[in-house]
Amino acid sequence: MGAGRDIATIARWELKKTFSVMSRNVLPVAIVLFILLVLVTGFAAESGLHIQDGIYRLGVDDSRIASLFTPDTRFSVFITTDNALTQNSDAYDVIIINGVAHATPTDKARSALNALARDYTQYRNGVYTSEKDLFAAYPLWIDTQSVQSELNFSATQNGQYVQVAPGTGGAAPQGTVEQVPTPSPTLAQTQDELRDELAASSQENTQVSRYTNILSPGESAMGSFVTPDQLSPPLPFDSIILVFVFIFPLYFTSQFFMMSIMNERTMRQGEALLSVPAQTLSIIIGKMLPYFFGMIAICAGITVYIKAPPIVLLPLIPIIIFFLANALIIGMLARSFKELSFISIFFSTVATSYLFFPSIFANVHVISLVSPLTLIVLTIQGTAWSVSDYIYSTSLFWLTAIVLFYIAAKNFNEERLFSEKKILPRIREFFAGILPERYPAAALFFLAMFSIPFVFMAQMMGLVVFFNLPLPYSLILLLVLAALIEELAKAAGIYTLFRRDPASFTWPTVAIASAATALGFLIGEKLLLFATLTQISSSVFGSVLFLSLGVLWLPLLLHFVCVLIVASSLKVWGKKAFFPAIIVATVLHCCYNLYFILGWLR
Amino acid sequence: MKSRHVAVIAKKEFFSLYSEKTILLAVLLQVFIALFSSFLMVGLTSMYDPASLSGYSHFRYNIAYSGNQTPLLGYLEGSSDVRVRQIDLSTAIELLKERRVSAVIYVPDTPLNAEEPVKITLYTLENDLQGAVVDVRLKNTFLQYEQDLRTIRAARLDVIPIPVQIPVSAGSGDFYGFVYGLLVPLLVFLPGILSSALVIDLITEEYQHGTLETLVSTPVTFAEMVWGKVLICTLLVPIQSGAWLLLLMANHISIESPILILIQVTLSSLLLILIGAVCALYYRERTAAQFVFSTALVVLLLLVLALPFNPLNLVARLAVGIPGIEQWIVLCAVSFSVILVGLGVQRYADRIGKIS
Repeated sequence: MGAGRDIATIARWELKKTFSVMSRNVLPVAIVLFILLVLVTGFAAESGLHIQDGIYRLGVDDSRIASLFTPDTRFSVFITTDNALTQNSDAYDVIIINGVAHATPTDKARSALNALARDYTQYRNGVYTSEKDLFAAYPLWIDTQSVQSELNFSATQNGQYVQVAPGTGGAAPQGTVEQVPTPSPTLAQTQDELRDELAASSQENTQVSRYTNILSPGESAMGSFVTPDQLSPPLPFDSIILVFVFIFPLYFTSQFFMMSIMNERTMRQGEALLSVPAQTLSIIIGKMLPYFFGMIAICAGITVYIKAPPIVLLPLIPIIIFFLANALIIGMLARSFKELSFISIFFSTVATSYLFFPSIFANVHVISLVSPLTLIVLTIQGTAWSVSDYIYSTSLFWLTAIVLFYIAAKNFNEERLFSEKKILPRIREFFAGILPERYPAAALFFLAMFSIPFVFMAQMMGLVVFFNLPLPYSLILLLVLAALIEELAKAAGIYTLFRRDPASFTWPTVAIASAATALGFLIGEKLLLFATLTQISSSVFGSVLFLSLGVLWLPLLLHFVCVLIVASSLKVWGKKAFFPAIIVATVLHCCYNLYFILGWLR
Repeated sequence: MKSRHVAVIAKKEFFSLYSEKTILLAVLLQVFIALFSSFLMVGLTSMYDPASLSGYSHFRYNIAYSGNQTPLLGYLEGSSDVRVRQIDLSTAIELLKERRVSAVIYVPDTPLNAEEPVKITLYTLENDLQGAVVDVRLKNTFLQYEQDLRTIRAARLDVIPIPVQIPVSAGSGDFYGFVYGLLVPLLVFLPGILSSALVIDLITEEYQHGTLETLVSTPVTFAEMVWGKVLICTLLVPIQSGAWLLLLMANHISIESPILILIQVTLSSLLLILIGAVCALYYRERTAAQFVFSTALVVLLLLVLALPFNPLNLVARLAVGIPGIEQWIVLCAVSFSVILVGLGVQRYADRIGKIS
């Protein structure tokens, strides 16, 4: 009961303090800026974004044709005679003579041709859509049906591996053939319905309206029917709008929390707070609570505004907690405002890309579920997702947030908060704060175990970034990165212990510490794998990251040897040997992985 | 105002930035953003544009064709993207489920010149990248067939669109548009935006860490202190932007007028930095100043982007080598605003200096 009252009191203080800081001075300006923002957004939607204006030069001999392309601001259109165009063709990227486009063989001209082709298609579709006989203008319709595959998420799903070797396609199916009804040859819609849809979809391609439609998708009368022109999947940048709508406000609000923590530290203002007779955890939760509810309220407001189902709030909660945990740690770590700014901008960029990147593969690839944002995309589309999907995409967020909160709570004291050390020694001190001196082996075991969610997150980030590289490179880079991250994570605890008390670093201690770390790491890895990541781990990419699923003693030996290399290097050559030792361990780790993957892939 | 004093402050801030390795983080951040955005664009456009997937374009996907014989079958057989075989529908679907074929097409026996359209059914795998790639590969063949049908039914059309023949361009033309229309302006303006956030930190830090009194007791005046901080933030801009331009050029992305681009960028950034300084001087507290500034920045950027001949557009034009008289007009307008806001900062700082 007492803790609850403490939390409430501190939350009230925090609220009062924030409002006194964001006093009368800020609020009116904020309101004015907000009104301006709405006005400017309207203006930008009206006039479009003018970044690429006039970068292509187009020469045309016919003013009728010229009028087709003048609305596209990317083109500077010049109307002149045939002769002038042919004589002076170097001055243009593309010239159109007698209705035929000619381009110089440069990248720029090719790009201009692409833009031209898209504009022309749009114009032609506009003409066809207004035809009275729609089925003369659009004589071919494609009914797109998707079939559930029985082989789930194997390597083939990367789109780059296609196991159908040429020639083997002729074999008869292995499974039993179910009778599939012959599709009816007629469309289910009337001409007018289709015409409206076509008109609407061609307009969607213009500027901003395309993005606003994502948030409130109307029911399409066309169902699964498309014309050949609509067949290609739209470029999947749509979810970026969700980042802007949901994630940016959260990032903004977490900044306030970060700053509030930082303010406690400047000029030792937080001493009063630390002297409060409450547990540190209550203080932290109390300080965080107003921001947490504020963020929930913002998200709820946005959800109501865009008329999304309230269930989108569920995947947002772990994101909020994750942002707050990071804000807390960053606020406690940064030495100065500029450091705070850059670390927080860096963090938010990485977090945003972690959230955004996988979600562009929503509907296309299971990897997309790594990001909770995908769940939001799915919800807004009206696709259902299961509890296991939720656990799969949010568990890393929950786990990392909890570990970060624990580290913060352990270090939320005068000594750490008011010290002015450099950032790396500070991080080491934070680790030292959670490693009790009396049981170093047990501490290392748990530290290694709890580093797993972070390792996975960092590796996932590598996975999403390298995903689009050509295959051999993406695998090699991922391999090296995964090994490096794991080695760094394992070495962190050992290094902390070594720096704290080099004298206690005897050979038996080195062996015990390495064994404890290796064991903790292995157990943590297995736990998380079995709990969540079975889907990923059966792909080729997964096999690189989490190779060691089958045999247990081999990976244990590997982890042990790698940590031992680092620990004994520290023992023999001192702290200078840390990075060379990490590199040696990484190389060894890579060789191990390569051997097994090469064996795996033949 | 003594320039020596301004230089002293600038130097002090530079060394503090240097010792904190903050600059390193800033550079790392920019590299990450650049990497990320190019992965995003180049990776994805190549995925959705089979022509540019040079490494994989030789692969011919297996397609099952069922239903009636039409010219479409001939087109598919002639296509170098796919390998087509005729299989009856039920067997084909089972093969698709087993991933032995990548797509199944069913074509009904609708006459080519019928009242109603020809409706074909295309089966692909659910939630599968391969399905998306096959869709794109089949698209051209379908478009070709659609054009044939259109020609057959042309007599029923009221209006024929103005014909323009546009040759199909080889290679990924979109890369060019992305690099010059987005990446270059983004990269050269990023340092300016970071610098304007930096100046707020530098100024509010003096207030909140209580170091202001020490500074004011030296011969340096308050205004000189502010200008020293503005100076160092401004100097960082052309250095970083210039490094980006050099890096782009080293990657065979030619930039036509780098000096003119740097002048445009530095002046626009100076304007942002001065606005940041005004926010910091007014609020004297980081949370409020950063909040108001970043909101104002979003408003300003949106407004500027919606105007033709904005600095970002000018950078794109300069980079592709289409300079014009407009750049000088915009440069004058920006310089004028810089002088205006600069005078404001000077007077404001003087007033604050006198009071304290």
